[in-house]
Amino acid sequence: MGVASAVRKEDFKKNNRAINLQESDLNVLVASASQVIAPLWPIASFAARNPWLGLEKLSFDQVAAGLKQNHDVDIYPSASMILSAKKKGEIDEAFVNVGLQRWLDSHSYTIPRDVAERFCHAALKLEALPSELLSSREVEKLVEGFDGLNTEGVEAFSMQPISAQIENHDHEKLVNLLNHHIIKWCKLYLDDSQAGWSMPNREDGFYHAWQRLVRFDPALTKAQRESLKDWPQEAEEALKRALSRLEISESDIQSYLEGHLLSLPGWAGMMLYRSRQSSDEQALLTDYLAVRLSLEWVLVKPYMPVNHQPAEKNVSIPSLLAAWLQWGELTIEEWSQLSAAEQNEYLLFAYTFDEKLCRKLWLEAWEQTYTDKLSQKILSKQQEIHNKKPSLAQFAFCIDVRSEPFRRQLEKHGPIETIGIAGFFGLPIATSELGSNHSHASLPVILKPQHKIKESADENELQSYQERKQAVNSLSYTFKTMKQNVLPSLLLPELSGPWLSLQMVARSFVPKSANRLIRNVRETWLRKPNTKLLLNHTHSSKAETPVGFTGTEKVNYARQALKMMGLIENFSPLVVICGHGSHSINNPYASALDCGACGGAAGGFNARVLAALCNLPEVRKELAAEGIDIPKETVFAAAEHNTTVDELEWLYVPELSEAAQEAFDYIEAIMPKVSQKANEERIAQLPNFQSQLKNPQAEAHRFAEDWSEVRPEWGLARNAAFIIGPRELTQDCDLEGRAFLHNYDWKQDKSGDLLANIVAGPGTVTQWINLQYYASTVAPHYYGSGNKATQTVTSGLGVMQGNASDLLTGLPWQSVMQSDHEAYHSPLRLLIVIQAPSKFIERLLKNDSAFRDKVENGWVRLASINPQGRWKNW
Amino acid sequence: MLGSLSTSLLLSVFLIMLVLSGISGLVFLHPRVPLRFVRIHIWIVAIPPLVALLAVANTRLNEVVGPWYLDTLAWLMAFFVLFIGLIIQRFSVRYLMGDRSYRKYFTLFTFTTSVASIAWLSGDLRFMVIFWGATLLGLVLLINLNSGWKVANEAAKVSGRLFTLSWVSLVVAVIWLFQVTGYWQLSLALTSEGLSQLGVWEKAGINLLIVLAVMIPAAQWPFQRWLIESVVAPTPVSAIMHAGLVNAGGIMLTRFSPLFNGEIASIVLLILASISVLIGSGISLVQVDYKRQLVGSTMGQMGFMLIQCALGAYIAAIIHLILHGLFKATLFLQAGSAVRRFEVSKSVNERSSYLWIIAGRALGLIVGVAFWLIAPGEGYQLISALILGWSLSVSWTQLVAFGEGRIGRIAGVSFLGGVAAIYFIIHQLFYEWLYTTVYQSVQPPMSVVIIVICLLLFGSAIGAWVARNRSSVSFAVLYLWLVRLGEAKPKSVESHPNYLKHYLSQGGNQ
Repeated sequence: MGVASAVRKEDFKKNNRAINLQESDLNVLVASASQVIAPLWPIASFAARNPWLGLEKLSFDQVAAGLKQNHDVDIYPSASMILSAKKKGEIDEAFVNVGLQRWLDSHSYTIPRDVAERFCHAALKLEALPSELLSSREVEKLVEGFDGLNTEGVEAFSMQPISAQIENHDHEKLVNLLNHHIIKWCKLYLDDSQAGWSMPNREDGFYHAWQRLVRFDPALTKAQRESLKDWPQEAEEALKRALSRLEISESDIQSYLEGHLLSLPGWAGMMLYRSRQSSDEQALLTDYLAVRLSLEWVLVKPYMPVNHQPAEKNVSIPSLLAAWLQWGELTIEEWSQLSAAEQNEYLLFAYTFDEKLCRKLWLEAWEQTYTDKLSQKILSKQQEIHNKKPSLAQFAFCIDVRSEPFRRQLEKHGPIETIGIAGFFGLPIATSELGSNHSHASLPVILKPQHKIKESADENELQSYQERKQAVNSLSYTFKTMKQNVLPSLLLPELSGPWLSLQMVARSFVPKSANRLIRNVRETWLRKPNTKLLLNHTHSSKAETPVGFTGTEKVNYARQALKMMGLIENFSPLVVICGHGSHSINNPYASALDCGACGGAAGGFNARVLAALCNLPEVRKELAAEGIDIPKETVFAAAEHNTTVDELEWLYVPELSEAAQEAFDYIEAIMPKVSQKANEERIAQLPNFQSQLKNPQAEAHRFAEDWSEVRPEWGLARNAAFIIGPRELTQDCDLEGRAFLHNYDWKQDKSGDLLANIVAGPGTVTQWINLQYYASTVAPHYYGSGNKATQTVTSGLGVMQGNASDLLTGLPWQSVMQSDHEAYHSPLRLLIVIQAPSKFIERLLKNDSAFRDKVENGWVRLASINPQGRWKNW
Repeated sequence: MLGSLSTSLLLSVFLIMLVLSGISGLVFLHPRVPLRFVRIHIWIVAIPPLVALLAVANTRLNEVVGPWYLDTLAWLMAFFVLFIGLIIQRFSVRYLMGDRSYRKYFTLFTFTTSVASIAWLSGDLRFMVIFWGATLLGLVLLINLNSGWKVANEAAKVSGRLFTLSWVSLVVAVIWLFQVTGYWQLSLALTSEGLSQLGVWEKAGINLLIVLAVMIPAAQWPFQRWLIESVVAPTPVSAIMHAGLVNAGGIMLTRFSPLFNGEIASIVLLILASISVLIGSGISLVQVDYKRQLVGSTMGQMGFMLIQCALGAYIAAIIHLILHGLFKATLFLQAGSAVRRFEVSKSVNERSSYLWIIAGRALGLIVGVAFWLIAPGEGYQLISALILGWSLSVSWTQLVAFGEGRIGRIAGVSFLGGVAAIYFIIHQLFYEWLYTTVYQSVQPPMSVVIIVICLLLFGSAIGAWVARNRSSVSFAVLYLWLVRLGEAKPKSVESHPNYLKHYLSQGGNQ
């Protein structure tokens, strides 16, 4: 994108004197261009992804301007969204005024302040200009003879693909044709064993396969195929040739590549992801660009040479003038009396104070209103920390926003203490379930797994379990084989039809029982044996991730997790490590509802590992030596919080001490009540026909097991804040399931390392989640993934809309919208609240430059509460 | 059992309930009616299929009541389309929750399935043509439901154009038939007396028009465009399209079967349908989008159904179209489950399985031959036997020969046995129901059967050849052509669903 490269272009120009582009230069250019897109993970492990990952050095507003100008993507909330939030009381207009005054103070203009203010206030109503006015003869007349606005310094030009500037004889832009070709090649190449016949030669890499095939592609004309006959064998060569034939000057190459990457950011993002997965595909993004630009050249060839002038940004003078007439309450006479210079000044003002700026001011007021309400809520409840009653049990939950309402209910129902920590519990592990060769990286996607943890079971039991599992798998495999065989495929509907229709009828009319029955039959057949975790280190070949932990590692991870939780004294008899997962069927986005800190999967496995580690006598002994004395009667157990039905499932309960048993029984007794209350609160938010439900619990199960449900739960929608501090800070506040909560006690963190870790790890995860929701809400077509009803899963990797489209990257329309008319998620940038003295925050900002960039450039907002209970916005 | 009087009673009840569900659909359109009315609507639309089911169970004779022709087939088809419609509407209650065309969708859907059911009950050709036309219109409107989306418009346009061609050709055929025989009533026009009035060329002409009319809705080559482009429709619309409406050709040909008999038109149909089977299977082999694979498969399956019709195996065609409808509807409705991690199974010990594979092939051969010998004179029986034997051998290999351990093999065998038993029971049931209603046609010449078999075997042979010559130029060309045939044209593709931008700027504060 232009802005991104604009910053670097200058340096580049200086350094690039050589006329011939070296190969390494080209790869460097591709690598720096790739910053405008973010890698895209396969949908099966849908993890939060910040679409502006590489752009945090630029300010939010700069990125917004660049995206709007070059790709017509608007990343401020729409006017109607703002107005409806205002109607619901989510925005305090006073903050808009404050923002406006600040803006007026910080900008220079020669228009009288009151005139300017009147204009701005009217513009901030966000009403469209009446179309009669825009097309009225008077305005047209006045505009005549105006030879353009002097908008120097406002303009920032960047490159669009040449094909975006040319239309063919059908008035179709060539870039659309280009995209059509690219989508096809990408999906065929990237296919993850969906097709019966995979793309020929794909083993040789994307560019090579394409280069060999394209000569026969009937989707190109004969002349077009001819012109690719002698096209280079290697991607770099091809890219260079295409660039030179397209007459891109060397200084423009990077921004030209950026423009192309942003045309289909999803497919390009998937290529980027793959290029980082294996060494065979390292140059995949170069391959992609080579294919794309080669095809572009073929398509635009008949139109060459293209007069590629910077597409003059049209400043619509009539609309600026109309704005003054409408909002500035200027009459035509008054306007005519102004001098030419004054007129220019007025127009320039209207040009600067445009609709985008208005919405930016509104967005900031919206965020400020939320901050204000949150601070009141938290500060009003602050009392001196009364002497804690010893609690019966301690629960460690994921920081996920869905934990908060559940924790609140749990605490309400008994002497239970809850703790927030990132749901992978600091364990950098890949998990491998019993009898499975596949392992899942169960940690935030920014990290790489260091250990592999496997489940094990008795040899004989495992053997027969494998056989039973294989029998089930072979059913779907047989289905697939028959489908891909001409003759059997003709009989397949008649063989499987009766069974499938039975299932269809049952799922339609008794969704809950049908799904339960199917699940029960499956589980009864499989009878998964009881498993143990293989925690001990076993030797393996160097290249692989080591299996298990060594003795010191066990102690280190246990200590680290306990410190992160702030749980180093006052242990209750029962400590429950609680991961979370979701339950939905027929939902390609199921993993988006799972634990984001566990790489888009349920977090129970990690919980089991940590609980098991903390129960090991040798670990406890080491810890005791360091001053973390876990009493003998304290037992660690593991559970999983099912966020779709707000229930707790025990995963690992070792032999309990007497006190722990008592706590366990107590929890079992209150759990139904807790679930019911939590569901009551949550189910009311989901769109439904009745507002009053007799049995929220049953309805929650219906949501989870109904195959036609598009919103099984709201996931992390409406998330807005990340609060880092002790639970006492937020103890009795209803945070509406909008806040991530991480335990933190600054008094235990003299060096500030804990805080730095929390901000760098969980802080980044929450920021990514937040921006993903933000982006999917404000630009659903570009950063979201559109309506679920018109999606098709492609290549086993992701979804496309309609007949074909970009590989869509974000959350579906239904996950952020209540209905086509009403948004559910409020697009606010994450507010990080830290309870610590200001010195701590200053030190953090000084040491962590990446975090400082995020705060300064408006990618997150930062506030702190000092020990005296004073709120400070940074 | 109820007598003949009840037939007209059932018919009136059925029509009244159908009108009622139409009214319920219209009521729902009114913005003042609360959204939860949709549940009552589902109850109402559940009644007509129940009545139709009752009628299926009670019909023993073929009766003409006014413009209606009521036999088991007619009631069965009416039940089928309404029942699938009911299931899909039930599915949409939650699936389309929040959609801006929510109300309009249910109204249109009820309309489309209702008129389709009436079309199959019509004995009067004018009725049939009008109601079938209305069905096609309803379908086009459903495709265009999200009218703000450019690509949906484009798909509706393509479908509309092809449907018009299909419908006009049906109208011309029907009028022509009337001109010659003097009857609008199908059963009267197609008596041997009526048919004897047809000249050879007239018969061929009418038949060719009918072939054109049925091939378009069945998305047969070279008219597959509309089905390919309409992947853009919402999942439930695709479900009804693939389950309830593409298979109209099978019913229509069954109805016209006395007229349609081993002539030039059958040969044309056979050849085009066989080509479609190959192309359709090819598309579903090379495509990687879940829904597009289903489109390819539908094209192939409908080709097979038309082959069955052309060979005079009408009952087999009806069974196939019903089971395929249910099959495809389920696969569409569970389109959200297409993301699955396939656990790569451990490499099977080929040698230990080798004997098992041979046994499977032998079993397939024996069953196939035995099946053929039941009725060796019928051309379709041979094809059926071939497919049956082949499928048995393939599924045996997967389920039993590659089964892991004793448990795996026992499970595989019992599963195979269960599926086979259900298969034969269901076929028996259908034959009992339908044998009275379907015209027993003249057998096609054996040479034609052989040609079809050769084409189908050719398709299988290509599969085997491809496995060995993956890097050859011919495979590249074949591959790219199949991709090309399965892809929508550039006009029906948009890189991002831009209509959502308008939703954002319009919605919000309503």
